[in-house]
Amino acid sequence: MNRLVTVAEMTLRELARRRGVLLLLLLMPLTFWLIRRDSYVGQSVRALLLGISWAVSTAALFATSAARELEPRLRLTGYRPHHLYLGRMLGLWGLGLAISVPFFLLTVVDANNLRYGGIAVAMLCCVAVAAPFGMLIGALLPRELEGTLLLLTVVAMQMLLDPADAGAKLTPFWSSREIATWAVDHTDDGYLTRGFLHGLVVTVLLIVTVAGVFAVRLRRRRHLHHVPIA
Amino acid sequence: MNADDWLRAFAAELYQRRVGGDAARHVVAEAATHLREGGGDPWLVFGSPQAYAAAIVESIGTTPGPRPGPVRLHARGITKRYGRQVVLRDATLTVRAGQIAAVVGANGCGKSTFLRICAGLVSPDAGEVTVSGRLGYCPQQGGTADFLLPDEHFVLVGAGQGVPRGPARQAGRAAARQLGWDAENAVLARHLSGGTRQKLNLTMSTLAQPDVLLLDEPYQGFDQGSYVNLWDQLTRLRDEGRAIVVVTHLLNQLDRVDLVLDLTPAHQGGRS
Repeated sequence: MNRLVTVAEMTLRELARRRGVLLLLLLMPLTFWLIRRDSYVGQSVRALLLGISWAVSTAALFATSAARELEPRLRLTGYRPHHLYLGRMLGLWGLGLAISVPFFLLTVVDANNLRYGGIAVAMLCCVAVAAPFGMLIGALLPRELEGTLLLLTVVAMQMLLDPADAGAKLTPFWSSREIATWAVDHTDDGYLTRGFLHGLVVTVLLIVTVAGVFAVRLRRRRHLHHVPIA
Repeated sequence: MNADDWLRAFAAELYQRRVGGDAARHVVAEAATHLREGGGDPWLVFGSPQAYAAAIVESIGTTPGPRPGPVRLHARGITKRYGRQVVLRDATLTVRAGQIAAVVGANGCGKSTFLRICAGLVSPDAGEVTVSGRLGYCPQQGGTADFLLPDEHFVLVGAGQGVPRGPARQAGRAAARQLGWDAENAVLARHLSGGTRQKLNLTMSTLAQPDVLLLDEPYQGFDQGSYVNLWDQLTRLRDEGRAIVVVTHLLNQLDRVDLVLDLTPAHQGGRS
């Protein structure tokens, strides 16, 4: 447990010291929000959620890429793969929640007649999915540029696809859009249930995939035999 | 060869003949004083460094070196290809507790790859590695976190072994001091100079008290004093019974090692 907490803490410390990155992380959802501010309120909320998803995934991608050289040597000092990926994920979830709070307050102050609990759940879904999603891309693509381009593609798809389209359900952040519809348009509870389930399933799937990728990357190689000292 | 060069060669000769640290320092200081006050060519005053060191050994004796212990690292038949290019062919190395092995060879001959295979970070196409005890690895570059302080690196490594924060910090600072570096008031790793960053890298690898220590050109960016500190520390670790493997291309330190693995391909004159 101490190992998990230490990795999470160091992830947060690293990110907290990247002031420029933090500023951009806050600026991104805000920009998304402001662009849609004058149109329909549902559009601005959805754009805000997409901005949070994009910001947290990008932070996760860069944090994972930056740790690529460090992790194998931490593995040698006694960490198991799950300490490393879960610890990092915990730190990123913490960061995502910290980013989300001011934007949640913004919606409370700026927009009336919303189901605010739904907005909070949608933001939680964004953060829950974005951290493992960014980590997975960072683990699979060794160079940050490729990872960023892939993220951009996914977010653009998310933005352009009609949410009612069956293909849209395959995009990672569909859940937040569905829950936002429930929260903004006061639709039936099916939207909330579907969205929540989608977010849960996608998060679990992503965590399991990240676990698999890290287990392979940080595996104990077969040619190396450890013998205890007599 | 001037007086300083002669004294350096003399000190190295004493070291190689296992004259104890304090005794060797005392004898070298005496010779330096004699040369400074009396002047003259050291070759005429004392003779060759080798002959004078032999005379000293004759008169004060030597410190018995620790006998090599059990095998700690045994790499056998290591072969590695990248595409069609064979980087390593049947490389074998056995290092015992209390030994320093140097891995040498031309650029691109697979020194770092060999070390990464020994550390279990890369799989070979053929061959096996057996490690007895805990393994420590210091990469040539990277391996640190830009936005963490040195103390936080020590805490991170310490947590891997279940060491509490306070003792991990203290152990890291103490290990850094051995390299002539005060890590207590240091800045973020990204603001450290190349040499100091490498000291952090090295400190991290020794912090876990490894039984087998793998170092990939650990002295990059070191000044002369730090370089001497490094070898003193390696000697100390060896005398404590650690098995050490150092990848190096600086052949002037080979008199301080017990084994040499030359990975230069045979057609280029290597002797692996």
